[in-house]
Amino acid sequence: MVAPIPEQLTPELVFREYAPRIYQIARRMLGNDADAEDVTQDVLLQVVRKLDTFRGQSQLGTWLHRVTVNAALAHRQKRANRQKYETSENIDELATVEGPTGPVNRWNELPEEPVLAAEQAEIIEQAIGTLPEPFRDVYILADVEGLANSEIGEMLGLSLPAVKSRLHRARLRMRDALAPHFEGGLAS
Amino acid sequence: MNCQQLLQVLLDYVSRELVVEQCETVEIHIRSCERCSILVTSYKHTVRIAKALPKCGQLPPTLEARLRQAMAAHLKDDAGTTQG
Repeated sequence: MVAPIPEQLTPELVFREYAPRIYQIARRMLGNDADAEDVTQDVLLQVVRKLDTFRGQSQLGTWLHRVTVNAALAHRQKRANRQKYETSENIDELATVEGPTGPVNRWNELPEEPVLAAEQAEIIEQAIGTLPEPFRDVYILADVEGLANSEIGEMLGLSLPAVKSRLHRARLRMRDALAPHFEGGLAS
Repeated sequence: MNCQQLLQVLLDYVSRELVVEQCETVEIHIRSCERCSILVTSYKHTVRIAKALPKCGQLPPTLEARLRQAMAAHLKDDAGTTQG
């Protein structure tokens, strides 16, 4: 069997395949459309500028995550609108993680690969938007984008335990936020 | 194992990063603690739900136009530089 010839990387292909993805990551990280639009333009131009240096789409995909994350973080700092996460809790320590304090109820059964209704996706996006930035960044990259914890650590300048701790806290918060929408019954 | 200890290893348990013995300890606790059993299941569902979110968003038409314009201007500049 002959391997398919890879599609040549052109500005048009990059625009079509990657601009919506860059925009989605930036929008989730920054939480607003205007900032995400600026970041998308910034990243897209960076990609077009360096197009000749990529051997194929797989290499470009990895690089894009990194550049998009860096651009989003830089944009956040430039705007000086960083939401301070002031707390006495050490967010990078797994040992201090706390679970839900109230009652926990069973969730509805979920297929291995669920298909979300638009309304459910919107609820999840809103819940992501309420996560404090240190948790949100890690959560988006790990659970939504599917990057490895070690890769996320490199991108965000965090140790592996710190990535895990933030991810765990983010998941627990997401679980609490989503529970009312996905619960199916009380525990006996 | 108690509930707080389970919470500390939950992420590694769900990612299957625990050694067999630790994994068994977690499962023994889950079998005897309904609250933790529900917590673990709903935590796994939370992970699965996030993976199901769309990776690409529809570009707003105004943004699409703006990006195309910026790209065209950039490519034009680039061509000018190369020629000059």
